[in-house]
Formats: sequence, C-alpha cells, structure tokens
Amino acid sequence: MRPSLRHVTKSLRPARLSCRTSAAATQAIPDLQPSHHPSTRKLSTTPTRQHTPSSSSSVNETEVSHFSALASSWWDPYGPSKPLHLMNPLRHDFIQTCLSSSNPPQKTTNLRYLDVGCGGGIFAESAARLPSTASVTAIDPSPAILAVARAHARRDPSLVCGGGGSGKLVYLNETIESLALPEEAAPGEEEQRYDVVSLFEVVEHVDYPAAFLDRVGEFVRPGGWLVLSTIARTWTSWVTTNLVAEDILGVVPKGTHDWAKYVNEAELREYFAQKGGMWGTPTVRGVVYVPGLGWREVRGSEKVGNYFFGVQRVG
Amino acid sequence: MDGLFRRGGAYVCRRCTQSLQKQQRRAYSAAAQPYLYDVVCVGGGPAGLSLLTALRTNPVTAHLRVALVEAQDLAKIKSWKLPPDRFSNRCSSLTPSSALFLDQIGAWKHLERDRFQAYQEMQVWDGVTGARIEFDWAPGSAPAAGTTIAYMNENLNLTSGLLKRLEELGGVSVFDNARVERIAYGEETEELDLREWPVVHLSGGQQLSARLLVGADGANSPVRSFAGIEARGWDYNRHGVVATLELEGEGWGRGLTKIAYQRFLPTGPVAMLPLPGNYSTLVWSTTPSNASLLKSLSAKDFIAMVNAAFRLSPTDLAYMHTQESGQAEEYSWRLEHTPFDHQAVPQTVVGVQEGSIASFPLKLRHADTYVAERVALVGDAAHTIHPLAGQGLNQGQGDVQSLAKTIEYAVSHGQDIGVTMSLEPYVSERYAANHVLLGVCDKLHKLYSVGSGPLVPLRSLGLTAVNALGPLKSLLMNQAAGNGIRVF
Repeated sequence: MRPSLRHVTKSLRPARLSCRTSAAATQAIPDLQPSHHPSTRKLSTTPTRQHTPSSSSSVNETEVSHFSALASSWWDPYGPSKPLHLMNPLRHDFIQTCLSSSNPPQKTTNLRYLDVGCGGGIFAESAARLPSTASVTAIDPSPAILAVARAHARRDPSLVCGGGGSGKLVYLNETIESLALPEEAAPGEEEQRYDVVSLFEVVEHVDYPAAFLDRVGEFVRPGGWLVLSTIARTWTSWVTTNLVAEDILGVVPKGTHDWAKYVNEAELREYFAQKGGMWGTPTVRGVVYVPGLGWREVRGSEKVGNYFFGVQRVG
Repeated sequence: MDGLFRRGGAYVCRRCTQSLQKQQRRAYSAAAQPYLYDVVCVGGGPAGLSLLTALRTNPVTAHLRVALVEAQDLAKIKSWKLPPDRFSNRCSSLTPSSALFLDQIGAWKHLERDRFQAYQEMQVWDGVTGARIEFDWAPGSAPAAGTTIAYMNENLNLTSGLLKRLEELGGVSVFDNARVERIAYGEETEELDLREWPVVHLSGGQQLSARLLVGADGANSPVRSFAGIEARGWDYNRHGVVATLELEGEGWGRGLTKIAYQRFLPTGPVAMLPLPGNYSTLVWSTTPSNASLLKSLSAKDFIAMVNAAFRLSPTDLAYMHTQESGQAEEYSWRLEHTPFDHQAVPQTVVGVQEGSIASFPLKLRHADTYVAERVALVGDAAHTIHPLAGQGLNQGQGDVQSLAKTIEYAVSHGQDIGVTMSLEPYVSERYAANHVLLGVCDKLHKLYSVGSGPLVPLRSLGLTAVNALGPLKSLLMNQAAGNGIRVF
C-alpha cells in the first residue's frame, strides 16, 4: 500500500481520497482536480444493515433512464457498447483465475451465477453458454434493457429453451434489494445461494456502494466468489473515461460515467477487510483499453483506471 | 457414412433440437423445421474435413453439434485405394507445419505412409538464362525440426485419411451425395428468433440451420455468394497440366534424399515433384493452347515434351509446341546439341501413367473478407493461388488451424461462435498473411513470364545472389518448410 494513500477509517464512513495521491500517472498534473466533481467518495451513507426490499433500493433513477435509452444499441458490437463486448472474454478469464485460486478448492462445474445489473446480457449470455454453468440468474432494474436482453437471448437456442425459462438463463426485472434472498442451506440440503455473483461495471453507477455490497454479499454462498469490475477514481480515469471517451472520441455515450461515483481498489479492499472475516484476500487485475487493440491486462493499472476485483466468501 | 452420425448435442440445447427434429419427422415435406447445428460445413475437401476433425478432436469444442455437406459420395473417397504403382494426378505438397497440425488432430496416422514422399532439396532455375538456386541444406543450417521441405501427397490420400479419422471420432452429421439447393435465412417463431441464422436447403429436402456456416466449398463457393462476399483477382490465361510420371530411377539421391525441380519458362513454371519410388508428379503451367496440345499427344511424344521442358532451350520448346506429333524424334535430335548437367535436372522420364494427363485453369482470387455474420470461409473459398510455390493446400490448413483456434477461444469464453466479433481473430490472423503469399506467387509468375528484355538479366541476378547468400537461402527454405520463421 502506498504511504500517501490516506486510509479509510471505518468502512461506512466516507472515504476521503484525493485523486492526486491515487496514481503515479497523475503526478505530472499535481493539485488539479476536476472542479465540478467532489474529491471524496462515500462508500455508503448511514449504516443500514436491515434491508427491507420494497422500501430501499440501490438504484439511481437517472442511471436507469440513461441506460434504458441505450437499450437499442446494446448488442451492436460496433456501437456504443463495443468496449463492453471486447471486455467480456477478460471477465471469464478473471473468474477462472479466481475460481482456480479458491482456498479451500471449490467445484468448477455446475456453477450457479447471479449477474447483478446485467444490462443487455453480454456477460449473462456468455456465462450461460459455458458448459461449466448450471444456471444464470440475471437481474436489472431497467425494463427497457431487459426487453432487449430477452429478445436477444431468443436468437440463441442454447440459451432459451421453449421460451418458458427452462434454459440456463433467466432474466428478472429486480433490484438486489427486491430479489428474494435464498435461505441458508440446512445440512444435507442443496445450497441455493450462488457460486459466482458478478457486478460488472455496476458499483460506479450505485449511489451507496457499501450498503449495496452488504446486500450483494449475502447472495454469495460460503466458498463462492463475488467478482466485479469498475474504474478507479483518478485523474487519469477522469481524462480517459469522461473527457476522452465520452466528450472527445465519443466511443462511450455521453453521461455514461459519473466520475465522482468511481470506486478505488483500495477503498474496496478496505471495505471487504472490515467485514469480520467474511471475505478472503481480494484478487485484483488492472486492464487498459487500447483503441484498435482492445483490452490489455496491465499490472498495477488497477490504481489508475479499469480493474477487476474478486473476493471469495470464506465466512 | 451412417457411422459418422451422432445422436445428442450439447451446445445447441438438446431439448430444442429433439423437439424440432420430432416436428421435422412429422411434417417432412411440408414447411419442415430445420435441424439446428453449431457448425455446418459445406464442402468435404481437405479444408472442411480438417476443420471438423480439429473441432471434434479438441475437448473444448468436441461438444459442438456439427454437420458436413458434400456433393460427392464420401464412402467412396474413404475407401479409396490404388495399387502401389499407380498414383492420382492430383497431388499437393504438405509443409511440415501442415503435417504437424494433421498429426495434432490425429489424422496423419491415417494417411497411407507408403504413398507420400518427403523431399529435402529444391532445384529452381531460370529457363532463359540458366541462373539457378539450389535449395539444399548447408552443413549446420538444417533445422532441428528436420530437413524435410515438404511432403508430396495425393489429395485423395489426405481426404481419405481425414474421413477415417472422423469416423474414429464420430459425432458428425454427414449429408453426402447432397447438393446445396439454396441458402436462406431462418425464421422467427414464438420461441426463437433465427432470422440471422443461415439455413442450408439440401437437394434431399433437409434443412440445416447453422450458428456458424463454414464455406469450405471451393473457388466458386456458394457460401461466399450467400454471404455477399466478393472474390477479386484475375485469370492467368494459363493452364496447369498435371500427370503422374515414371522416371528411370529413384532420383539422383538414390532414394535417400529426394529433390523437387522447378524451371521457370516464359510460358510458366514447369515443376516435377517426387513421389515414392521411381514416380514423380508433374505440374506444368503453360498457355491454354500448349496445354491442349500436350493433352493430345501420344504417351511417347508427351514424355519427350516433359524431358525437353527441363533440358532444351525455350526456343526449341516453342518449336516443338508447334508440331502436331513426332516430338520424340525431334527431342532426341535436339538433345544431342544441347549441353546440360544431367545431375542438375530430374532423371529422364520413361513413362506416363495412362489417363493421368489433365489440366485446369490457373487463377488468382482473394475474397474481400473471410467472415460475415454467422459465416466463415476457409481454403479455396477464401483464396485461390498460383500453384508455383505449392502453397494452396497449406494455406487452407493454416486457415483451418486458425479458425479452429478462434472457435475454441469463443467457446471457452461463452461467446456465440457465429457472430462476427467472435470470428474477427481468424481474419486478422490469416488475411494479411495469405494476401502477401498470394502476391509473392503472383509476382514470381509475372516476373518469369518475361522471355526477353531488361527484366531477364535482373531476375537472374536476383536468383544468383540469393543462391550465394547462405543465410537468406536458409531463411527462404525455412519459410517454404513452414519452420516458423515468418517472412510473409
């Protein structure tokens, strides 16, 4: 851990992190911050340990309407979602890395996935196609995007069987708060919680990530993995994802990213470490998008921009 | 080929397929529901068969439901057999990298070992100036992988071996003796939206829906036409005359080392490539009128023309092409007045196998791309090359190896193997490489088609210089042998 990084004290307190201290790449432009963005990131607000699914939600309505508007282009691999399409194989590589590092070793076949914030289903479809997958439950708060996801899945007979949901892939218009939490399995009973719970490009769109992650974590079976990808809140990421990608190049639709909501890898580490032994040591991998080449894994880049983060539930 | 049929499938949901197949059986002639496949390969030549073999051999892709469509009777090809003193006139060179790939997919051991011939040297020279390049391994320059430049092999030996391997593997739905009537897109039903899935309609009435439709269906590929992919290029106004030849001996290496010979004549290159024992195969690229004359000659006169092609001057040869017959006498007279090094040309041809003389037009074609949504092209459907470097079949094997790897990656990452995005690595790996090789062979052909003028001494200078430069020659030989140094 870099000495300059100010430590997050308690997980539920706002993390005070200056972007200036976050990455080597930002040192060339010290003391500069985008003036219209706050420099701190709340990992959560007030502690809300008890979720009443109907009354609280992690979902931000502006975010939902933004992505609903993108619904029609979600599956155009040369459209605005191209970086997501290109990133998808790396998600599987990362999950494989996590699963194979399980301690103690866990099953690697007949896996049950929960994909939270599935969008048009780029990851959910691909997970459902893997022979090692038993089922994929994919949820998203936007009905418009789910309509796109369901329509797209009908193009692949291996995903949807008979249209009655008897295939491996099930889409639900739910939030993590409204989704029924499976009961803890009694001895001898089949585990109903999930082997892999995924949050790909989701936490940066959530208002109160700590409360959100608290809830998500409950869906992971002991021994299973919570995997996510997101973007570090640094000067570099503001320049690349907001300024360049959205405003200049336009490879990402304008308004997709709210830089202030980005979550740093150290903040996530801190969050999971504070959970009283519920989670193991995180696995982190930084990736960099090179226009024309796609995504490349770059060691250490998790401090700067996009990164994968996986953590095994041990308790 | 009933033995090849498989029952279950996994990648396409088994229940869907079974229910659709039941419907198909119920209403066969009416608006039947198509069979669903992950891969439908049109064309059972070396490229198509290698692709299916690679997919069935790899545990990652072995669960894919695959189908093969072929116009010919595959049972006949599989049981193909010729006596040891007879060879098919359609032979191709297989580079060591192609041979390695065929070994990896378990097909090499199914080839008849005594019917293909490795060669270790190449002799290439300019028919006008006599400038020569000898591709032999200098002491110490031989690669660890072996000194074999390539294997000469009958195409039927390869396809027959691949079919035997596929039968051993099982799990391929084979539709042979089947003509592709048309290819159209699928339909949308309440449950499924197959409007982007190609459906192959066969002459027997069957309909095969393809997640990925592979065109291994040759230079006039119907799959390529369906995908709307243009193939551009030109005809050389040359024909390749092939024949199976019998020589006076096993070659100057007494059977221990075998040599391939190629002489560039102004009308095109003539090549003699070693087969087992005293046999060799001929590929003579020449004008269409010369080709039809060669095919019309008696065996005796044809043999004289082939011997002349490697020995006499282009002027002598041009004259002999004007004779309707009597080339044998003309040749023995002219030979007496032509000095040449016996050991620098192939041994004298003494016989030609009856019925083995044939010809085909030479052309260059390159498809604009190799993939479209749910379509991929391999082998001759993607490119047709001048045969002077013996690279045609090897390019197809390279395509197949790359496409099989691309499909493996897509399957192991949960991608739909039919979408363009999944197929793009195949195009980026193969297109430029094939294009350069097509261009190099094209330029070589054009360079040596010139009988006089300033180009002639220049090109001879080029050959002589290459011959003198050991390291460059080793590099070229490694390239020809596919030993991994990628110049192209």
